[in-house]
Amino acid sequence: MKLTIALSKGRIFEETLPLLAAAGIVPAEDPESSRKLVIDTNHEHVKLVIVRASDVPTYVQYGAADLGIAGRDVLIEHGGDGLYQPLDLNIARCKMMVAVSNDFDYEAAVKHGARLKIATKYPQIAREHFARKGVHVDIIKLYGSMELAPLVGLADAIVDLVSTGNTLKANNLLAVEHILDISSRLVVNQAALKLKYSTIQPVLDAFASAVPA
Amino acid sequence: MRNWLLPEHIADILPATARQVESAKAAMLEQFRTAGYELVSPPLIEYIEALVSEDDGALDIKTFKLDDHLSGRQLGLRADITPQVARIDAHLLSERTGVTRLCYAGSVVHARPNGLMSSREPLQVGAELYGYAGIEADLEVIGLMLDALRLGGVENIRLDVGHIAIFRGLVAAAALDATSARELFAALQSKDGATIRELVAGVAEPYRSAFIALPELYGPASMLESARSRLPSLPEIELGLMQLSAIARALQGKVELSFDLAELRSGFYHTGLLFTAYAPGWSDALARGGRYDNVGRRFGRARPATGFSLDLRDLIRILPARHPARGIRVAARQLPDASNEVARLRATGEIVVLDYLGESAEALGCDRELVATSEGWQIVPFH
Repeated sequence: MKLTIALSKGRIFEETLPLLAAAGIVPAEDPESSRKLVIDTNHEHVKLVIVRASDVPTYVQYGAADLGIAGRDVLIEHGGDGLYQPLDLNIARCKMMVAVSNDFDYEAAVKHGARLKIATKYPQIAREHFARKGVHVDIIKLYGSMELAPLVGLADAIVDLVSTGNTLKANNLLAVEHILDISSRLVVNQAALKLKYSTIQPVLDAFASAVPA
Repeated sequence: MRNWLLPEHIADILPATARQVESAKAAMLEQFRTAGYELVSPPLIEYIEALVSEDDGALDIKTFKLDDHLSGRQLGLRADITPQVARIDAHLLSERTGVTRLCYAGSVVHARPNGLMSSREPLQVGAELYGYAGIEADLEVIGLMLDALRLGGVENIRLDVGHIAIFRGLVAAAALDATSARELFAALQSKDGATIRELVAGVAEPYRSAFIALPELYGPASMLESARSRLPSLPEIELGLMQLSAIARALQGKVELSFDLAELRSGFYHTGLLFTAYAPGWSDALARGGRYDNVGRRFGRARPATGFSLDLRDLIRILPARHPARGIRVAARQLPDASNEVARLRATGEIVVLDYLGESAEALGCDRELVATSEGWQIVPFH
């Protein structure tokens, strides 16, 4: 039975290769150097489709791919409706944090009950986090270079992924709150798991046994 | 002005498909009729309290509301017919104490679509059986559901069966509060093992391990054996697994069958067995059903109930279009002489089309025509 796996380029793809290898799947080409969006593998019936990280849940939800690998951040923003997320793959790990400019007193602003302006690529996670804290916020959705927003006065704080913290440091920002630990999850189309059980389950088991500690 | 534009997730059903939808609907209702199911046709609008029970948030958000200028009360546009049929069984037909079988087919409207590809105006077809708690009733309804899908033209159906009482039994035994139960329910629906582990960190054994095992308990009937060893022996779980095994025995060989103890998605009001049909080509379930005992309690009469429903629009969306039947052309100038012959042909079920403009066979949808010969009216090929 045919099996289609949705992946994004870059870090997720690199860190997925050992998992695919554990399931006996080897891509025929490297998506970094190839312009192809559908990549063959050593198995006739297994294809990889290369999509933007934030589009992975959509492809899997609507059955355009049977399996996919997506960050927890992407899944929360997408809503994860209609998807199985059976496995935390423990790859592409980082943290979702609140960061402010070095000279901004975040604790005082929160205590004061101020209404904060938050720039983020992750409005769902940001809204949920501040609602739980009981802080009123205005969310400004940005698509990149979040670190700039507090520096130019566009926002009081940002909510963003932090892996090393170097970008924050270089821009005089400070991480003040840890929201979530992020790692990538294996997502499975619900109908596919039922209809292609005998094809998908061995892949799931192989992935589970190869998840890095 | 683009006054022809339809709202999002709202679509016309165009000629060939409309006929296909209508004949599939008729075939299903006919099948229900011969199995003893009586047809009901509840209203499109009702008072909101009747349509949506207070604690069913998911249905509430799907239901369009409007003000009733006659009563000053709030009305809802039905988003699900099942509660309406339950109301009929509980109230209007309450003098019947035996088994009541009801079926229906009608449009429902969703304020929010179920998914990106879903219509906001599904055509819900379903059947419900009230008054019998035995598994035989569930088997009857499953059989009806599979037959309805096959009548609709679906092949290679896979039936997936779950049991919500197993989850409910664990929640009760572990004494979880409503919020934790809701969060666990959501995580189980997506088999989100990582989140489940976080949520049950403080739950006592053996329930903690049981919750962690649930999302892994799916697959062929042989899975039920490992479920027996991995889940604690609570009465609800024993009964649930026993019923699932009985389903396995009854349906083995009749349909592709699998089981899933974390499949809870069917509905808020379900209480027992849950069944879902999948088929190649559809990225989501095609039909869902299950046991929802006591659904009529809020209408004053609690009793056993089981049923299923499907969205005929979704079904037809994927099925290959059928070639519509071809008709017989009659040149309009042949009237009124041909009138009797035209009426006779139509009475036999033939499509007979009057041609005013001298159009092509393709445009008229005809492959034959009626011509006058010395021996009377004859039907000859028309290209």
